[in-house]
Amino acid sequence: MRAMMNKRFFFWMFLVLGMLLLLAGCAEVVQVGTSVGEGMGRISKEDKERLDRMALKGEKAARPMTEQEEYFLGRAVAATILGQYRLYRNERPTRYINEVGQAVALASDRPFTYAGYHFAILDTDEVNALACPGGIIFVTRGMLKKAQNEEELAAILGHEVGHVSHRDGLEAIQRSRWLEVVTFLGSESVKKLSGAELAKLVLLFEGSVNDVVKALLVNGYSREQEAAADLSALTCMHRFGYDPRGLTDFLEKLAREQAGRTGQGIFATHPGMAERLTEAKSVIAGEKWPRLDHQARDRRFRQSLNF
Amino acid sequence: MVRKSWIIFFGLLMMTSAALAATFKIITQEAVIRKDKRFFAPVVIRAPYGEVIQELERQGDWFRVIYREKEGWVHISAVQEQAFRVPSLTAEKAQETSQEEVALAGKGFTPEVEKALRNKNPKMRYDLVDQIQDYKIAEQQLQAFIRAGSLKEP
Repeated sequence: MRAMMNKRFFFWMFLVLGMLLLLAGCAEVVQVGTSVGEGMGRISKEDKERLDRMALKGEKAARPMTEQEEYFLGRAVAATILGQYRLYRNERPTRYINEVGQAVALASDRPFTYAGYHFAILDTDEVNALACPGGIIFVTRGMLKKAQNEEELAAILGHEVGHVSHRDGLEAIQRSRWLEVVTFLGSESVKKLSGAELAKLVLLFEGSVNDVVKALLVNGYSREQEAAADLSALTCMHRFGYDPRGLTDFLEKLAREQAGRTGQGIFATHPGMAERLTEAKSVIAGEKWPRLDHQARDRRFRQSLNF
Repeated sequence: MVRKSWIIFFGLLMMTSAALAATFKIITQEAVIRKDKRFFAPVVIRAPYGEVIQELERQGDWFRVIYREKEGWVHISAVQEQAFRVPSLTAEKAQETSQEEVALAGKGFTPEVEKALRNKNPKMRYDLVDQIQDYKIAEQQLQAFIRAGSLKEP
């Protein structure tokens, strides 16, 4: 009876330690520990196997997408979008949005991604901006037409950098699909991909790409994700010396246009502009950020973006 | 018996602490290790994806590290703490572990998967994606842009 109680005690002790080790991503350490415990007769063979299974399952289920996988996913998302929209090819505005965007990204919480941030213009009057996982960011000609100065452009790009930084695109992938990827890759049988296995992986990849594209072009992100991206834009702008009111000035315009209309692009995927505007204004007021002079930047904006 | 149990307990606790100790893996295509902890500081050495570096200290968002016997600073977003590995106890176990690592390293969303997807969907414009990613702003150019706009280097 006492021996049984002891084994129960050790089972729970290993379980608690196992949880701690899993936080460090170490299913293997858990396995070494349980082997020692079993060898010394502290836990039964069944309990050892149960704990090992739990550890492996926990580690695999918890595995996030790597930066490299996010990069390949983002490329596929961008390639799909570019299959639907024309790329605007003009050196000066392209260089300018890359300068503003890459500078703002340096002030973000994730200045470095696998292959860095890249900004491109979509040749459409639709008003929208889209962040692909990994750091390719599109902004439409229609959106750029609405921006009146560099502060507003920095706000648009800072908001999209926020989505990349928070990995919002990855959140759009169905959880069950990603678990299937992880389980498939972790299975013992997959040592070298056969034709059928590669086809299955491509199908899972394709499904993940479609999930993200659908979020970007049709469903949009949640209000919480939009609010977090706004906050991220405001913080980047302030850290970098831009006037954060660039965001509220721009949102004000969009909120006015959104009132009483159902639209395409950003108006369909970004409901609640007025609420976002109120929240952003309250952040600026709370932080007591002063108004900044930006005449020099306004000049280069006018010279670089002339649609 | 109770004492032995505590020894096991503390042994495992120490392994947990070791697991949390700091060796980092580069998670960007190429990480730049710099002389000082700021974005445009002179470059000491570049480390490609997957390389392992040793942390010496952390200050804010920067780590002072050693890579190939050179010391410098790398930004926190370019590295990831490496999962701790206990030396495998048996040859069989070692083989199993390395196979798992190979499987994870060589699979997933990789160039092989991208190539297959590309062949399957010719409407996807990977050619344009390559052009977008090949477009580079030189570091000096970005620095000049920041200065000309009276902005602050973060």
